[in-house]
Amino acid sequence: MTAQTVQQGDLVTVIGLEVHVQLETDTKIFCGCATEQTDEPNENVCPVCLGLPGALPVLNEAAVEAAVKIGKAIDADIPEETRFHRKNYYYPDLPKNFQITQYDEPICADGELEVAVEGERRTVAIERAHLEEDPGSLQHVGGGGGIDSAEYTLVDYNRAGTPLMEIVTAPDFRSPAEVRAFLAELEEVLEYLGVFDAERDGSLRIDANLSIIPEEEIDGDDTDEIGMDALEAANRTEVKNISSHKGAEKALAYEETRQKNAIQRGRAVEQETRHWDESRGITVSMRSKEEEKDYRYFEEADLPPLRVSGWKDEISIPELPSARRERFQAEYGLSEEAASKLTSTKQVADFYEDVAGEFDPDLAATWVADNLLGELNYRDMEITDIAGRLEEVSRLVELVAEDEITAKNARETVLRSMLDDGAAPDEIVEQEGLGKTGEDEVQQAVVEAIDENPDAVDDYESGDDGAINFLVGQVMQKTGGSADPGDVNQLLRAELE
Amino acid sequence: MSDDAVSPEEVRHVAGLARVDLDDDEVDRFARQFADILEYFETLDEVPEVDREADLTNVMRPDEERDSLDREAALENASKAEDGYFKGPNVS
Repeated sequence: MTAQTVQQGDLVTVIGLEVHVQLETDTKIFCGCATEQTDEPNENVCPVCLGLPGALPVLNEAAVEAAVKIGKAIDADIPEETRFHRKNYYYPDLPKNFQITQYDEPICADGELEVAVEGERRTVAIERAHLEEDPGSLQHVGGGGGIDSAEYTLVDYNRAGTPLMEIVTAPDFRSPAEVRAFLAELEEVLEYLGVFDAERDGSLRIDANLSIIPEEEIDGDDTDEIGMDALEAANRTEVKNISSHKGAEKALAYEETRQKNAIQRGRAVEQETRHWDESRGITVSMRSKEEEKDYRYFEEADLPPLRVSGWKDEISIPELPSARRERFQAEYGLSEEAASKLTSTKQVADFYEDVAGEFDPDLAATWVADNLLGELNYRDMEITDIAGRLEEVSRLVELVAEDEITAKNARETVLRSMLDDGAAPDEIVEQEGLGKTGEDEVQQAVVEAIDENPDAVDDYESGDDGAINFLVGQVMQKTGGSADPGDVNQLLRAELE
Repeated sequence: MSDDAVSPEEVRHVAGLARVDLDDDEVDRFARQFADILEYFETLDEVPEVDREADLTNVMRPDEERDSLDREAALENASKAEDGYFKGPNVS
């Protein structure tokens, strides 16, 4: 088949990922400098992460523990022995002129992660995951700020030596949407493990390889079923500079269209590295970098090998999001959608279980999944932003559960005011006079409303049932909205009998 | 080992990776020197087998913060610095 005769429908997209995640440790991977973000450049640096002569790296135990946790979560093998290599390249973000990474003996091999895409379960194979150090950060200054036109470069090594895990998948993705779903699931898993903070700048960085191959080369969704020769034969592009799941979907959708258009017009797709330009929404060709052999990998003799396969049994990991989602549906009778919202982060899921344990699971689901997450989302906040105030939210649910305030007031007045003004629920209820009005008071308002509105009473008695709504409104007004409209309706009807 | 064990092309490639500019004379000189160096390594083949020291494994440190360098000290050896940053040429 020649390129010119290929129709769009005959083509399949094949994508594989390299995902770099920053591990949440207090200190860098090979030295005791803080990993905390700071506004001042070159504050968290020492002879090791500056690559000064004679400085020796010593591995951070917490980074290895995090790697083992990730390995367990993706059901990977932790080999008997694993070691570090030097990857050599000359660029000022690397003060040593090499990056310490793992090459042919990574700490995790042959894992997988199951992900639901549009209701369908897919298993993505993870070929390997390895530990490495992050480079520093560069600023290209002057001449418009672009890399090519800059006058000079400023270098900050605060980030240099931050522990990273690079997670490499098989080419198992068939669409940008699948990539996005996988990254979202991976982020959830990593957050559950407590090894990752999505809020941190640059904590997730993705390189994606995309190629387009003829459909007949694929029988199923597994890599094993792809004609690997076809994959080898097709030119692929590596898209760099992706930093979120949404960004990944956009970047790959762009790249997919670009390659398909080229093939349709009979043009060859170049094998190259392309840079995702988020602001312009396009990928741009980058000058080709070194080939693999040019990195001249060799063993890092300053770091003895690791033998940590036994840690897999010693280190425990929490229930992971997919298992928790299923349990929430079975145990609390939640819908898949509610269970999925309530397990989106470990903090949300833990809080839901607290509330569901004390009150009704359905009421708890409405309050946590819809009301709380909805109002937080509206304010661009996360549950972690109110971590110290979750007891107040529980108290609010209690007020509703005990029928002390109406659900509407609880949601629209108390919850919003809690988030906006930082007040406690009981305070707000008191201040706004939202406590459900006593029965006597409601009864009195009912009598008053009937006395003051003879016309409406006449209408009701002559068969206009809608007139009752007017009377309910009058009673609600008299009680400041704190009476229950259903109760009022019944009281009115009883009084008018 | 003969002098052409390392070709001028290989020298230019390695120099390119190291971002070093070499003129033709230097390339020839380095080609000879590389060959000499490789020859020194061959000498190692003649070293008799000896027992090596017991392997170290799992050398790690706890995740505890240690003092970093003062920024002044960190930048002291830099040929150029600006506003707390190391300063270098354009790197496109």
